[in-house]
Amino acid sequence: MVRLAELFSVLILISAVLNAGSPFIKFGIKLYSFQSLMLALYTLMVALYSNTSALYLSFLFIILFKVVIIPYFLFNTLKRVEIKREIDLALGIPESVLFAGSLTLLSNIIAERVIKTTVTFGSLIFTISLATFLIGAMLMITRKTLFSQIIGFLTIDNAIFLAGNSFTHGMPLLVEFGVLFDLLAAVLILSLIIIHIKKSSLKTGLRS
Amino acid sequence: MIELVLAVPALSLLISLVTDVVYMSYVQLAASIFVFIAVIQSVMGLKSDKIFLGGYFFLDHLNAVILFTVSLLELFIAFYSFGYIRTEIKHGLSKRKFKFYYFWKNLFVLSMMVSILANNLGIFWIGIEGTTLATALLVSFNRTKEAYEATWKYVMMCSVGIALGLFAIVILYFTTSSAYGQSIKALSFLEIVKIGGSLDRNFVLLSFILALTGFGTKVGLAPMHNWLPDAHSQAPSPISALLSGVLLNTALLGILRFYQIAVSSGISYARYFFIGFGFLTIVVSAVSIFSQKDYKRLFAYSSMENMGLITLGFGTGGVAVLGSILQILFHALNKGAIFLSSGNVLAVTHERKIKKLKNLSGIMPVTAFMLLLGTIGITGTPPFSMFLSELFIMIGLFSFNPVFAFVVLFFLVLVFAGLLSKILSMYGNAQDEKKHAMESSLHPFLIYIPAALILVSVALLFYIPNPLLVLIKSAVAELGGGIA
Repeated sequence: MVRLAELFSVLILISAVLNAGSPFIKFGIKLYSFQSLMLALYTLMVALYSNTSALYLSFLFIILFKVVIIPYFLFNTLKRVEIKREIDLALGIPESVLFAGSLTLLSNIIAERVIKTTVTFGSLIFTISLATFLIGAMLMITRKTLFSQIIGFLTIDNAIFLAGNSFTHGMPLLVEFGVLFDLLAAVLILSLIIIHIKKSSLKTGLRS
Repeated sequence: MIELVLAVPALSLLISLVTDVVYMSYVQLAASIFVFIAVIQSVMGLKSDKIFLGGYFFLDHLNAVILFTVSLLELFIAFYSFGYIRTEIKHGLSKRKFKFYYFWKNLFVLSMMVSILANNLGIFWIGIEGTTLATALLVSFNRTKEAYEATWKYVMMCSVGIALGLFAIVILYFTTSSAYGQSIKALSFLEIVKIGGSLDRNFVLLSFILALTGFGTKVGLAPMHNWLPDAHSQAPSPISALLSGVLLNTALLGILRFYQIAVSSGISYARYFFIGFGFLTIVVSAVSIFSQKDYKRLFAYSSMENMGLITLGFGTGGVAVLGSILQILFHALNKGAIFLSSGNVLAVTHERKIKKLKNLSGIMPVTAFMLLLGTIGITGTPPFSMFLSELFIMIGLFSFNPVFAFVVLFFLVLVFAGLLSKILSMYGNAQDEKKHAMESSLHPFLIYIPAALILVSVALLFYIPNPLLVLIKSAVAELGGGIA
């Protein structure tokens, strides 16, 4: 079971790296959905391992919010603004993949320094969570398209959820639900703004 | 009684969905007065920490001061909004545009109250993120390209910043759950402070730094401040006043909570982070003020400068903490007056650029006078209450390190010079003298509310009511400061 959990967590990192290596936005949203599914399965594994009832509910919430609802809204918005791929990359594809790799290495070094106490699944999870966090931040910085920025933000959020669910057997349920609800509201508002920016002007510094 | 502070905004939020905006403005007046009375009732004469609603919320002296500030400013804003809506509708804005104004405003106030009163750090986080989302559509209220871009920047930067704050909470929860197990208790602020000494210091420090940078984004501390001038200048004026006056302090309260936890676990050097960030914020805002062309942006930078000063004061300790807490209250009132009167200027002239405005005191004599008084007040000049708080901060700084204090003073003088030179240039005479008083098209509330705020601000320099003074002193003691 621990092996399986590790596999899921590694897949989270891989989907983040893949995102750094692809300029296609539709693919990016699909990858996000996949990543969230892996996060949910990982949570399920932790739930089975530690037998915490709160985590089963957390699993359901993640499936509902992150795998289904948020990608659905993003796809809807994407359809309305009609954009296919990232146009303006501050960092080329090969460079960003290389950069993502070095960020992972960096997180590994940090994790080995910080983690001395025993965490549920060892320092591997901390490495992965930190690396995913940093890659999400990198996506936000190097891409100018508004959609890619949302995906970067959501990746950061997934990384924090991963850390939360592995360090602590899940935050209290009320808090977790609130966090997910706020995330959903943020995505809704951001997609609303994307549509408006697209409508109000076609030649801004920001591209929808 | 204190539960009503949360219940009334929630109720008026629901009412606003079903009533017309004109009737709603009456309801809002009643609700705001009611909330203010409820706050006065529960805050004054507060002896010890009061826990309510099943331990999720609490009231201590520190958040009581901020709660009082919020409800006081909110009371004035409710009256101003009453006039604002009537004036804008008279000037030809459709009623439909205001349909959700009160809904978002009440949601904003509610989530602010929730995060101020939260005992549970998770609840605090939800409240802070709620304020970002509630104000997002208020910032884009004007529906221009600039407004949407400002909103985008605002939501994006603050959400990522607050996500860092969530990371801080997760790490803290990991540390505290070794003491309390996986329960809601491990996130409760009061419980964490109790066992501060036994926590793992590395993790507490890590969570403090993450919280400082994360929630610091929302406070507008220096390297993370980019969104602030845009968002604060694009929002409708009553909302700008709330954003600048009290929302920044609400986010600062979160950092202070983490600071208290860090201090309780024996990390005494946490305050140097405050000094560093505060000083950097003052420097950046002082330098930026000179290149501003838009008067609302100018005041947004002034808010940044004041938040930097407040943070610096908390870091300095001693009598400066008293100054900082007073500054929170006085800055809210003064900044309210400024944003509301500059809102009047915007409503009449529809002009944001400083250069295009001339002969302001001819066009609108009362508002122009209030704007000038407010600007003089915000820089900490004597007849206004902010003189007192900045004096305390400076005394604390001078006893901390005289050379550093002189440097800070220099930048404060720069801010003073920058603000006044920019604002005074709007009062010069124009070649073509348009003398007709355009001020009469405004609702009387729009003219007298900023004046009332200025009046309160002046009055507080000479006389602070005793219950309030006791409250402030206890809040200072809670943060380990004192009158030297």
